[in-house]
Amino acid sequence: MAKLILLLLKLCILFFVVHAVFEDQVGKFDWRQQYVGKVRFSHFDTQMQSSKKVLVATESNVFAALNTRTGELLWRHADKTGPEGNIDALLHHAQDAVLVVGNGRMLRSWDVNIGGMNWEILLDSGSFRSACLVGQQGTVKHVAVLKKTVISVHYLSNGHQKWIENLPESEIVDYQTVYSGGNGQVFVLGIVPHSHITIVVYSMEDGEIIKQVSVEAPWLSNIPVSCVVVDQGMLMCVDSTTMSINTLDLHQQQLQMTQIPLQSLGLEVDPDFHPYLVSHQPNPAQKPLSEFFLQLGPERFLLLQLNNGQIVTLRDFKPALLASFATTGEKTVAAVMSPKNKTACSINLFSADTGRRLLDTTLIFTVDPNGGKPERLHVQAFLKKDDSVGYRVMVQTEDHAVTFIQQPGRVMWTREEALSDVVTMEMVDLPLTGTQAELEGEFGKKADGLMSMVLKRLSSQLIMLQAWIAHLWKLFYDARQPRNQVKNDISIENLSRDEFNLQKMMVMVTSSGKLFGIDSKTGGILWKRYLDNVPSNAAFKLMVQRTTAHFPHPPQCTLLIKDKDTGLATLHVFNPIFGRRSQVTPPALPQPILQSLMLPLMDQDYAKVLLLVDDQYKVSAFPSTKNVLQQLQETASSIFFFLVDSSRGRLSGYRLRMDLSTEQVWEVVIPTEVQKIVSVKGKRPNEHVHSQGRVMGDRSVLYK
Amino acid sequence: MPYTTVLSVLHGDAFPDVTSSPAETTDVERSVSPITCHQIHVIATFDKGRLSLTKTDNMCQRGSVPLLWFFMQAALVLVSCFTDIETGPGAVVSTQPNGDRFKIEGRAIVPGVKTQDWVSTARVLVEGEEYVGFLRTDGSFAVNDIPSGSYVVEVVTPTYRFEPVRVDITSKGKMRARLVNYIKTSEVIRQPYPLQIRASGPHSYFMKRETWGWTDFLMNPMVMMMVLPLLIIVLLPKVVNTNDPEMRKEMEQSMNMLNPNPELPDVSELMTKLFSGSKGSSKASSSSKGSRPAAKRR
Repeated sequence: MAKLILLLLKLCILFFVVHAVFEDQVGKFDWRQQYVGKVRFSHFDTQMQSSKKVLVATESNVFAALNTRTGELLWRHADKTGPEGNIDALLHHAQDAVLVVGNGRMLRSWDVNIGGMNWEILLDSGSFRSACLVGQQGTVKHVAVLKKTVISVHYLSNGHQKWIENLPESEIVDYQTVYSGGNGQVFVLGIVPHSHITIVVYSMEDGEIIKQVSVEAPWLSNIPVSCVVVDQGMLMCVDSTTMSINTLDLHQQQLQMTQIPLQSLGLEVDPDFHPYLVSHQPNPAQKPLSEFFLQLGPERFLLLQLNNGQIVTLRDFKPALLASFATTGEKTVAAVMSPKNKTACSINLFSADTGRRLLDTTLIFTVDPNGGKPERLHVQAFLKKDDSVGYRVMVQTEDHAVTFIQQPGRVMWTREEALSDVVTMEMVDLPLTGTQAELEGEFGKKADGLMSMVLKRLSSQLIMLQAWIAHLWKLFYDARQPRNQVKNDISIENLSRDEFNLQKMMVMVTSSGKLFGIDSKTGGILWKRYLDNVPSNAAFKLMVQRTTAHFPHPPQCTLLIKDKDTGLATLHVFNPIFGRRSQVTPPALPQPILQSLMLPLMDQDYAKVLLLVDDQYKVSAFPSTKNVLQQLQETASSIFFFLVDSSRGRLSGYRLRMDLSTEQVWEVVIPTEVQKIVSVKGKRPNEHVHSQGRVMGDRSVLYK
Repeated sequence: MPYTTVLSVLHGDAFPDVTSSPAETTDVERSVSPITCHQIHVIATFDKGRLSLTKTDNMCQRGSVPLLWFFMQAALVLVSCFTDIETGPGAVVSTQPNGDRFKIEGRAIVPGVKTQDWVSTARVLVEGEEYVGFLRTDGSFAVNDIPSGSYVVEVVTPTYRFEPVRVDITSKGKMRARLVNYIKTSEVIRQPYPLQIRASGPHSYFMKRETWGWTDFLMNPMVMMMVLPLLIIVLLPKVVNTNDPEMRKEMEQSMNMLNPNPELPDVSELMTKLFSGSKGSSKASSSSKGSRPAAKRR
């Protein structure tokens, strides 16, 4: 697969050329980082008081357990890539985690302590809709899987099917959710969009239909989006057209939904926002909480309680970005994240049954300006010695990063899961030190005369002597300091080339649009930057336009981001050592771009020229200064490129003309009925050719 | 028991390039007249799932050509019904999406290691990443949803090495496990099914550092050249009993072999005679003769 999802990013780099690897060299010159991918479902393992695991299921078909203390991977299992290994649902109970995989193809149960599978069974065909754990009298022993046309219940201990039933009228009704409240009945909710809701109640013992009810709901189009089940089987649906909450008691035989307009609660919905309900069922064998969240606006949440058929507002959170429930023991709390200022958010705990804020539960989360905004909140709550609730929170941000924070705001660990899908990278040399720059100063200039060369040599040697004495003094000074004060971290400020230019900066571009600068010696992330507005199926091309060898000019990297559907592209120019945006403004590209080409021609400030060919076959050059245009005009007759249109099977070659337009030189048509072009491979753009060089008399190097 | 059917083929019709000159036939039927009997019979045997055709030229019949032709057609039809052509290795019959799906079961064991230590890093790969299965907590596995065909099943762990096994699944669901042989792909060395895969040790990723050992010192050629002759010279006389008169005689004999024979002319004297001439030699011989009577007179 060309698109390497490769959830496991393993980078082993050996610096020395060795003929073999010996076991005692492991870890000295190499490092390895393992990732899992963007988190889709996550559950904290709260089996024991001192539990240290969080189970995550990701978009990259990986099911993994992370250690909550350090963020390291305990174990992970990667399924087939593609839709057949896709994880549709994750259900967690005690030591077992049940996964539905591959759009309802398979049901697997994992033992989370060992990391091995308990059982795996093949489900009948049919696309997956929903799954839930079914509990009875306080214990959970079954799992129900709802597909498009059937519902099946399996034993949790060995996966065998207890019963399977066809859903009535499944051609007309779209069954979407399954719910169980712990009383031995399984409720299946289906909908005929904009017409009515169908509720089918099955008995858990043998799958007999106990009840089948149809209730009119012309305003409803999608159940999982608009409805939740609260308390003892009360279905609450929010309707934005009539600004009301409709309730339905699943246990009674109601013919119509009770409508409670939001105005009666004194609330109004933000226009153009689809309101959203969140409920919480801590134990599948018991009924859900009677409290639930209602999101009325992008920054407004309400904690409501259903009390004897009446909705009571417990608390109004404004502004609030994210809200989530968490349960520990008998207590349930609600965690709400609200923005504090431009760079930080604060998370507070509130008691779920009263809405009161719990004291000493504030946690400050700093939003990284180079990262994405927070997207989801997962809370791990525990009881402290004095019976108060303490918690740690796992925040998932837009750039696929997962951060685990402890009170009062200390970051325990961060996982940059964007690195699980690296698209392209470049190794960039680090900047020269002062002494190295001095040495370089001798070369490159033509010899002036004997005396001047001698004087230059003497002066550079004096400067080097000075630098060496300063280095010795610093060593002496550091040795006299107590150990803990000497800082040995690699920071971005004092990065410079080492003696053989082995340590480099690895610039990585990931498919989520996040750029990383990683130090090749230790694997630490030195800088990161999240690009906004990156389309989801973008193609990236990273080019180094100027290296660090030309001192006063900063190094420059250009990233070309092209949307594969529309063909429009944007350029992002940045400094690869610090990750900051460059001062040079890239040109706006209004036309779709067909090809980009980097020429060895250099501008006055030693930046290589980037040519972009748009769909009108006109060429634009990126540093488009006069010097560059003049050089292009001189060498235009020897610049050729070819374009391939694989849908029509056309290969055409063009040559550059002096006014930066192109003319076609040759064309080959391979008819698509006969053969189809599958892939085109040119010279790899990041190929570095190392040629043999020979030093000439005037100290220049002649390359082969 | 091989199912045999006889196809009789008319010469010139089905196998035009097969001639039946009596000289080529084996010693079976010489009495057959060469003019009329040009019929070659082909015996088709179906044994162990393979169809083999052998040519025999025995029988000869006259005049029953249309009947024979009909019989041949019937036999051909019958044979094709019973043939079960083996799918070649790697030929995956996966063109029918509604075909039956089967599962490959087995168990993986690492001797001496508890299963829960290594099971969390293991996967079962069937034909590369085409079908992936996982191991249960007791080391057993079952990879579901596999159509009929021939697959290479291997258990993959970063720490232990397992041998791959080839599993053939017929279209009716019969499983057969055999050793993997990419060169002789139809070789069958049966393995037990459900699969039982044992780890053949940990992966060896590293080269061993060269270590010092006592053999390094003794096997050094310099040492061998010095020490061994020393041992021979010092120890050999001790081993050999020199007081024995027979031994002494033998030793003296071997010593005598080393002495030059006085009868034989000395090569160096020959050379000096050649190069210096007769005077020098006569002088030398006279001086030598002179010295001797002088010694004798005394």
